Amino acid sequence: MPDIELYQPTDEENALALANTLGRDGWLLAGGQDTYGWLKDRNKSPAAMIELTQIDAWKGIKEISDGIEIGAVTTLTEITNNPLVQSRYGLLATAAGKVASPQIRNVGTLGGNLVQDTRCWYYRRGLDCYRAGGNICYADSPEGLNREHAIFGASRCVAVSPSDTAPALVALDATMVVAREGGQRLIPAQDFFVGPARDIINMTVLNPGEILTAVRIPNTWANAEFYFEKVADRNVWDFALVSIAAAIKVSGGTIEDARIVCGAVECVPRRLNAVENAVRGQQRSEQLAEQVASIATEGARTLNYNNFKVPLMQNLVKRAIRG
Amino acid sequence: MGNGIVRYKRDVWGEEVILGVSWDLLWVVAVAVLILLAAHAILMAALANKKMDKPSAEGRRVLRHEIIDRLFHWVMAASIIVLILTGIAPIVGLRIAWLNIHWISGLVLTFIIIFHIIRSLFWQDFKSMILGPRDFGEPFDSAKKPGKYTFEQKGMHWAVTVVVLAVIITGILLFMQIDTPFWDRTNSMPEDQLGLMFLLHGLSTLALVALATTHIYFALRPEKIFYTRSMISGWISEDEMTANHDTSRWSPKEAD
Repeated sequence: MPDIELYQPTDEENALALANTLGRDGWLLAGGQDTYGWLKDRNKSPAAMIELTQIDAWKGIKEISDGIEIGAVTTLTEITNNPLVQSRYGLLATAAGKVASPQIRNVGTLGGNLVQDTRCWYYRRGLDCYRAGGNICYADSPEGLNREHAIFGASRCVAVSPSDTAPALVALDATMVVAREGGQRLIPAQDFFVGPARDIINMTVLNPGEILTAVRIPNTWANAEFYFEKVADRNVWDFALVSIAAAIKVSGGTIEDARIVCGAVECVPRRLNAVENAVRGQQRSEQLAEQVASIATEGARTLNYNNFKVPLMQNLVKRAIRG
Repeated sequence: MGNGIVRYKRDVWGEEVILGVSWDLLWVVAVAVLILLAAHAILMAALANKKMDKPSAEGRRVLRHEIIDRLFHWVMAASIIVLILTGIAPIVGLRIAWLNIHWISGLVLTFIIIFHIIRSLFWQDFKSMILGPRDFGEPFDSAKKPGKYTFEQKGMHWAVTVVVLAVIITGILLFMQIDTPFWDRTNSMPEDQLGLMFLLHGLSTLALVALATTHIYFALRPEKIFYTRSMISGWISEDEMTANHDTSRWSPKEAD
């Protein structure tokens, strides 16, 4: 293991000062479940680490005037088991409970799950692909193994967002609280993630010196009807092949409003706007689910080994609409 | 990995291959060009009192550039500026969806260059742009006046020709490596060849940045501004023509 300077700030001011001073040399560390893989494989060698789990202000779940606020270093287990989240935002509780394994959820944090790097194995192996600053995508080559990769929004890089909680938070219309020296900025969850067309190196809009400190979930979608499903090769300790998070407001059998988001099909959580528009004002039924499923995959461009994601995504949309 | 000009990487087999040009050179080029142009501006300002009076823009007007050539020039200028800006955007960390704008501008540039080559070969006086031995003596002998184009203009034209053709050829080969509405990429170019294409594209881009900056600077110089005006309005005055050109070698028609 190479020498790494370890900083353990206990308050936001110190954490931001360190992040600002160290810039790209300062690796933000929370649960470490993304980090330690990189280090173990010797594919990243940060000069310094800023451990954020000592900052109590960034932990826990509290009620705010318009919903709840979850600290970024709150563990996924706490979120899964929290009565407030379970009762009002069951979608997030379910999604957090599907992350990896119980051991990982015990130390993995919400912030870490949201800002984790992609799991494309060419990239994780340390190859100089586009995402690593190179000039080629190994996954989207004639010999590339791309079963887990994107079917939407690929721009040279075909990696996908691996986060389970991200689609749920986009569906819940959450807001990311990002701290930086001199203030903070609030970013809608939908705009927090960035695709390769805009930024082929990073997965989020966070700049060096900025730290995700909390996630706010408004009351807008509290107690709506939720549906979350994650399809992976294993039931535990695996990343999604496709996941779906849906928040649907139903009145008298009619869908008043809906937010439906797919994970693992694009580099960002994919909001299914066309499906939402198609179901709004319609009677929730099997027939409706059948009708709108194919809309979800319009424009999909599959790779050599991930054609299966199209029918899988359609079926997940059907299930979400059916409820 | 790099040696200052070229960046290298390990390919999928662990072999060292070219990755592309070192973008630190962009700042080197920018600073070098700005220093040279600033030095030129200071020198010209110091010599200003020795210059003759500026020729008048009044009086009879002669046609220097037809409307179609002016349109070509400005479309080319716009596409090159867009190409440079969109190419530099990810290097300086701007988060914009630059690639589509980049290749569309590249296609525009390619088509108008093809148009220009055909037009210059068959409909324009191609010989007026050829650099001959006489042209090389022109800067050192004030008695020698040029035909339609000065030595500097011809030099700039041919330098831009070489660089733009290099940008276009390497750009088209790189264009074939991305998805477009016309085809799905195959991503099958060997990594060493791909790196070479990126290197040549990058080097020609750097040269283009230097040439474009220099061109804009001279286009805005007071003693050259009438050429820029002619690229907008099409004409120069007879006085400007006789002061700067040999009318036995260039006899334009009267402007409308």
